[in-house]
Amino acid sequence: MLGRGVKRKWSCLEELEAEEVPAAQRQRVLGLCLEKLQRYQAGMELSLRRSVLLINTLRQIQEDMRSDGAGACTADVLLNGVHPDSCLLRDDFREDMSVTCPGCAEDDGASLSLSPPLSPEFPSQEENVLPDQQKSLPASTISSFSDAVNAMGYLSDLALDDIFEDIDTSMYETSDLPSLRSPTHSSPASLQSCLMDLNELDHIMEILVKS
Amino acid sequence: YQHLKIYTQLIKYCFILHVNLHISIQLHVNTLAVDLADIISTVEFNHTGELLATGDKGGRVVIFQREPESKSEPFSQGEYNVYSTFQSHEPEFDYLKSLEIEEKINKIRWLPQQNAAHFLLSTNDKTIKLWKVSERDKRPEGYNLKDEEGRIKDITTVTSLQVPVLKPMDLMVEVSPRRVFANAHTYHVNSISVNSDYETYMSADDLRINLWHLDITDRSFNIVDIKPANMEDLTEVITAAEFHPHHCNLFVYSSSKGTLRLCDMREAALCDKHSKLFEEPEDPSARSFFSEIISSVSDVKFSHSGRYLLTRDYLTAKVWDLNMESKPLETYQVHDYLRSKLCSLYENDCIFDKFECAWNGSDSVIMTGAYNNFFRMFDRNTKRDVTLEASRESSKPRAVLKPRRVCAAGGKRRKDDISVDSLDFTKKILHTAWHPTENIIAIAATNNLYIFQDKLNSEMH
Repeated sequence: MLGRGVKRKWSCLEELEAEEVPAAQRQRVLGLCLEKLQRYQAGMELSLRRSVLLINTLRQIQEDMRSDGAGACTADVLLNGVHPDSCLLRDDFREDMSVTCPGCAEDDGASLSLSPPLSPEFPSQEENVLPDQQKSLPASTISSFSDAVNAMGYLSDLALDDIFEDIDTSMYETSDLPSLRSPTHSSPASLQSCLMDLNELDHIMEILVKS
Repeated sequence: YQHLKIYTQLIKYCFILHVNLHISIQLHVNTLAVDLADIISTVEFNHTGELLATGDKGGRVVIFQREPESKSEPFSQGEYNVYSTFQSHEPEFDYLKSLEIEEKINKIRWLPQQNAAHFLLSTNDKTIKLWKVSERDKRPEGYNLKDEEGRIKDITTVTSLQVPVLKPMDLMVEVSPRRVFANAHTYHVNSISVNSDYETYMSADDLRINLWHLDITDRSFNIVDIKPANMEDLTEVITAAEFHPHHCNLFVYSSSKGTLRLCDMREAALCDKHSKLFEEPEDPSARSFFSEIISSVSDVKFSHSGRYLLTRDYLTAKVWDLNMESKPLETYQVHDYLRSKLCSLYENDCIFDKFECAWNGSDSVIMTGAYNNFFRMFDRNTKRDVTLEASRESSKPRAVLKPRRVCAAGGKRRKDDISVDSLDFTKKILHTAWHPTENIIAIAATNNLYIFQDKLNSEMH
């Protein structure tokens, strides 16, 4: 963090801050939130405090947008405003979900079970992996987007002991697991069985995103 | 012991500085080689104030000892000099999570002294260690069965018996690890606190607090667990925790939502339900996207009396009365001029900085850090406050500390005032400590440790 922001032109930022209308500021904060969450994905284990604060801020922006009567359209406009190309942003998301995960099985398992909100954007691949989770799709883009961020934010903080708890249980109930566990919960069965698919998916994503 | 080399480069300055709060202060600056590993990450006086420990990002602990008064050097009274340096933690790699575990020392806590040796706890993100610091100035000589190097003698050469004796030798400070408390924290340890029973201590990470016995390393009791069943429901983390100074059953922990929870271990073994919740109602007019981030409590400290709690959030320091949960007793603005700059501070990540806070020995003054190597003191009785600067450039040896003033944008600017725009946000004072009884303070400014001393206490006055 040292050195970050040193070379920033404070005067410019200030002017911006002073003049900013609430909607513009919201858009800026939103963009920064996303940028920060993505940036942290790649590196070290991010501080849980920081990611919780970032995601709560995102939630608040979401609330704010809802109370403004902003529907899915506004959300799209906002997202477009953050990144000139809305497709790019979505790609970024996918990249975070599947490619930049540090590659550990736990994280992949979690991103798998938490990713349905994103699936409509590339149905062909995800449907294969998660055919029965399509129902859980939220209606509005806003909530799907923030759910995605939710998932991202905590991926790298997924507690190891909890995963092991899950895996231990799975030893005794592998057969009836799919029916017992809710699709949104990080299920060990899908974790085990979909690891291979996920690795493949990662490769496909990588190719898609890079191209 | 390569790290010892760094400390041979110590340059020492002594300043006498004057503070508005009738505190004048002496300063040493220990300038270390500028290296990220040298950034000081924690500062802590022991219970008598004779020793001061610092921990850094490189996993080292440096202990300073206050020199006894010397007649030949009248100014040397109260000076702290390096007493011992040791490597407390090493970088590790978590192979299961593919993540590095930093060696950075997050907290140091001294145990109350019970014999000639000193004990301290140090922690990084995951592992807490108990260290013994002891002196040796004598060595045994004249064993019958082994020679000076400890080799067993040929028994046939032993023709007479002698009584081994202790011979004086150069003073040696030995630091040895006594206990390693590992594998109990899934998240990052942010606080450790020794209980007033002197037998137990607690360690807090983002979601859980564990209670340990100082002699037992393979088991700890989970006393707080705020981890939701589903991590998606997580909205709050534990940011700091501390035991009550006198009542061994009470402890407090702070959260990222700006609340404090006082827990009583007599009520239940698992203290998930608090006894008291300290929370200030939110001012709806001041609400912004950053409200929650700036209200996140970065440090909580019991007063020495045990009656009050001092908390620090991003912009303010607050004093709470244990008998009043509804709002803080006192609120002090640390750098309110930053309120209009929150968006930029959010952009450059400064808004997540965790400033600590400290009480003076009589609980009448509080101290906390700010940006630009500034730190603030608030006198609770007179309501006077002062901004001081910890920097070598602006101070001369034994000079009196000059109060600084930050001029908010648009405000009237006086000579020597510094404008908000020219504050250096990379120079932040996060860690400070106040001597338990005297007006001596230790300020960690990046890789420098400043020790200021009250002029009234020194012979100069």
